[in-house]
Amino acid sequence: MMHSLIQLSIVVLLLPLLSFVVLIFFNRRLPRMGDFVGIGMLGTAFAIALYIFWNVIVQHYDPAFRVAWDFTWLDLGNVPGVGPLTVKMGIVIDNLTAIMLAMVTLISLLVHVYSTGYMQGEPKYGRFFAYLGIFTFSMLGIVLSDNLFSIYMFWELVGLSSYLLIGFYFYKDSAADAQKKAFLANRVGDIGMWLGILILYSQFHTFGYQEIYHNIAAGKFTLSNGWLTAAGILLFMGCVGKSAQFPLHVWLPDAMEGPTPVSALIHAATMVAAGVYFVGRIFVILTPDALHVIAFIGAVTAFMSATIAITQHDIKRVLAYSTVSQLGYMVLGLGVGAYSAALFHLLTHAFFKACLFLGSGAIIHAMHHEQDMRWMGGLRKKMPWTFATFSIATLALAGLPLTSGFMSKDAILAGALAFATVEGGGIYYLIPVLGFFSAMLTAFYMGRQVWLVFFGESRTHLKPVEEHGFDNHSNGNHGDDHDAHDGHGHDDHAHDDHGHHHEVHEVGWNMRLPLVVLSCLSIFAVFSPDPLDGGKGWFMHLVPTPATVISSAAVAHPSESVVHAVAGRLYAEAPNDSEHAAAAAAAPAGEEHGPVYTDARQAEIAHLTHKNHFTAIYLSSAMVATGILLALVFYVFGVIDPDKTAQAIRPLYLYSFNKWYWDEIYDATVIKGSMLISKMLAWFDANIIDGIVNGIATIFRKVAFANGSFDKYVVDGLVNFTAFFVQTSGAVLRKTQTGKVQTYLVMVTVAVLGYFAFYLVQLMK
Amino acid sequence: MEMFTTIGLNHFLTISAILFALGMFAVMTRKNAIVILMGVELILNAANINFLTFSKFNGGMIGVMFSLFVIVLAAAEAAVALAIVINIFKTFKTVDVSSVDTMKE
Repeated sequence: MMHSLIQLSIVVLLLPLLSFVVLIFFNRRLPRMGDFVGIGMLGTAFAIALYIFWNVIVQHYDPAFRVAWDFTWLDLGNVPGVGPLTVKMGIVIDNLTAIMLAMVTLISLLVHVYSTGYMQGEPKYGRFFAYLGIFTFSMLGIVLSDNLFSIYMFWELVGLSSYLLIGFYFYKDSAADAQKKAFLANRVGDIGMWLGILILYSQFHTFGYQEIYHNIAAGKFTLSNGWLTAAGILLFMGCVGKSAQFPLHVWLPDAMEGPTPVSALIHAATMVAAGVYFVGRIFVILTPDALHVIAFIGAVTAFMSATIAITQHDIKRVLAYSTVSQLGYMVLGLGVGAYSAALFHLLTHAFFKACLFLGSGAIIHAMHHEQDMRWMGGLRKKMPWTFATFSIATLALAGLPLTSGFMSKDAILAGALAFATVEGGGIYYLIPVLGFFSAMLTAFYMGRQVWLVFFGESRTHLKPVEEHGFDNHSNGNHGDDHDAHDGHGHDDHAHDDHGHHHEVHEVGWNMRLPLVVLSCLSIFAVFSPDPLDGGKGWFMHLVPTPATVISSAAVAHPSESVVHAVAGRLYAEAPNDSEHAAAAAAAPAGEEHGPVYTDARQAEIAHLTHKNHFTAIYLSSAMVATGILLALVFYVFGVIDPDKTAQAIRPLYLYSFNKWYWDEIYDATVIKGSMLISKMLAWFDANIIDGIVNGIATIFRKVAFANGSFDKYVVDGLVNFTAFFVQTSGAVLRKTQTGKVQTYLVMVTVAVLGYFAFYLVQLMK
Repeated sequence: MEMFTTIGLNHFLTISAILFALGMFAVMTRKNAIVILMGVELILNAANINFLTFSKFNGGMIGVMFSLFVIVLAAAEAAVALAIVINIFKTFKTVDVSSVDTMKE
């Protein structure tokens, strides 16, 4: 008997698929191209997901809540030399799943509603909704999976739907290139992920998370710890691809070629978060070494993309790099062990980043597909709703107090500080330092964006005519020659009336409503009663950091101050009995709620995270304030001219503007390299393989000719000779057939006489 | 009488052989179909002489009987052969057997 929640979750999973199937086949026959089908299905799915959320989160309110159901999908029987092999499929609902279900269906629903406005008049309007359906289905599949195998399948489906949606305007070369780039970059990560899955499967012959945790906790991982680290890092590669982490981050900014609602749904809120979600799922089997790699990659990603975002002109591109940066934060959070904080940031980021993207979509829509911030400005009065919601989301992204982003980012940074302390400082302090610095940059570039877009005067008329069609920003690399002119006020320009053909208006209610909902969800009160501490909120309570299953005995740990406790146990609730006194000693902050860890390293990180909470708040607030101040100094008060600064530090500016030259580096190494290998292989193919084939063909031809000659001269010769012989004999014998009886008679006589002669000779012997 | 007694079997057989050879010669060399028929008659009579000779020297009447049959058959044969000759003449306007060779090849 399945749990009713499981049954409901299957309905939630299948509704978007149904929407896809209906819309992909019948969208042309339905009124309004069937957008109501997608919205209706998603609305129903969201209602059910909300029920699940209410049931799990509000009614149970239990950190250990978990219902699961699985069935044997493939039974391979008793494989010789391996033992019985089965592949199971199943669904697990715990707190994180319930939250993600509600989040994904809500944002998907809002994006559906928004798209009725944004995509209006598109020739492939119906197909767009169909693609949204299959994306939502795959994303829900990732969320609900209870094993590595099915998550991998849905992972690939998500990649496919992302591919379809990025290339929705596939007739544009830039969109077609971007979709290929996204798909290939993801493929690199997925290969690693699959190898990681295979390492674990080869050990335990199961894909299920729970079985793998238990097996590792029970010490059944027979290979060395290096292999476990390798498995962790390989699985993390899936996240590197999907969540656009360094060094595979290059696809996400290009993915902005897709329609803006897609950017909001897939490339900001849900799909890219799937990588973080997945790392969260495998968090407990990650060894400290693997976690270090993850933390450093996250920190580098966060910092690098923040530096890139400050110089981009395209409104969506800034947000894209901001997304990469925030995903870097989440990965950093997971790497330093701040599991709850990272997933909390995933949730809060989903809402405010979706709001930002939908807001930018509204702006782009209102500006008639102008995406370059240099030619915007002064939209505050014309689009008050968009301005208000965009500002709230910006504050949340920048991490100002009273917003959701503040709580989650602060928790991650506190974890990073604790991590650096526990690891013994040194190079590990790079992680919190990069984190705090990125916080400042985030505040700076978002301040810049808001000012450029909403404040000041409209700069539409400044757009040079020759740059028409420049919104095809794939060649944005080469645009730096023009930016030296921006803001210089060429009022006497000959084409100053350019772009005034259309007036900018606020968007319709169907595009405003999602913005309002999402900005409301960016307020602190949704998540925690205390605006300064997300740890007091429901999320941190319900999604506690799970205890690692890597036994601490197996892991050499440098920290001396740690009290070692019994390894291999999962976590316990706040200890009241003396049995856990040792663990409690490791966590004097245990008067706070939350789990206590038996793993010494984890316990210390958790403890120091609490201790560093206010340090992190002060530091990050200071950084955010600095960032905002800088943005004001540069863009609002005009104390420092951004263009002159850019000229003054031109190499640095160009380095940022050209995205750290990663595209060029990849072009020079990976792409050129694979082209070279392809050419070598093509040469090998053309000369060696074809040579062998042609050689064999030549030999066969020779043999065939020899065979043909034999046939022609020997076999045919024999046949012809027979015919010739018979013919010749006939010609000779024909002469005897004179037709004259007398001749015959003579012959008879001669024959008889001959016979007698012969007889007589015989007789005489 | 002595003359007779000196005439023995070999004389008869020799006469018969000569007669046969003459008949054979006629059959093989003559062009005229009638002459060939006459040659055939000679061969038959050579055979008759043999029958009678062996009948006389063996005793008994079997040889005589056979020669009578041969005479009768020869008469029948001559009738049939003459009919054929007449037909050949009707067809080919000649009784020259060398020109009656449409069966060749």
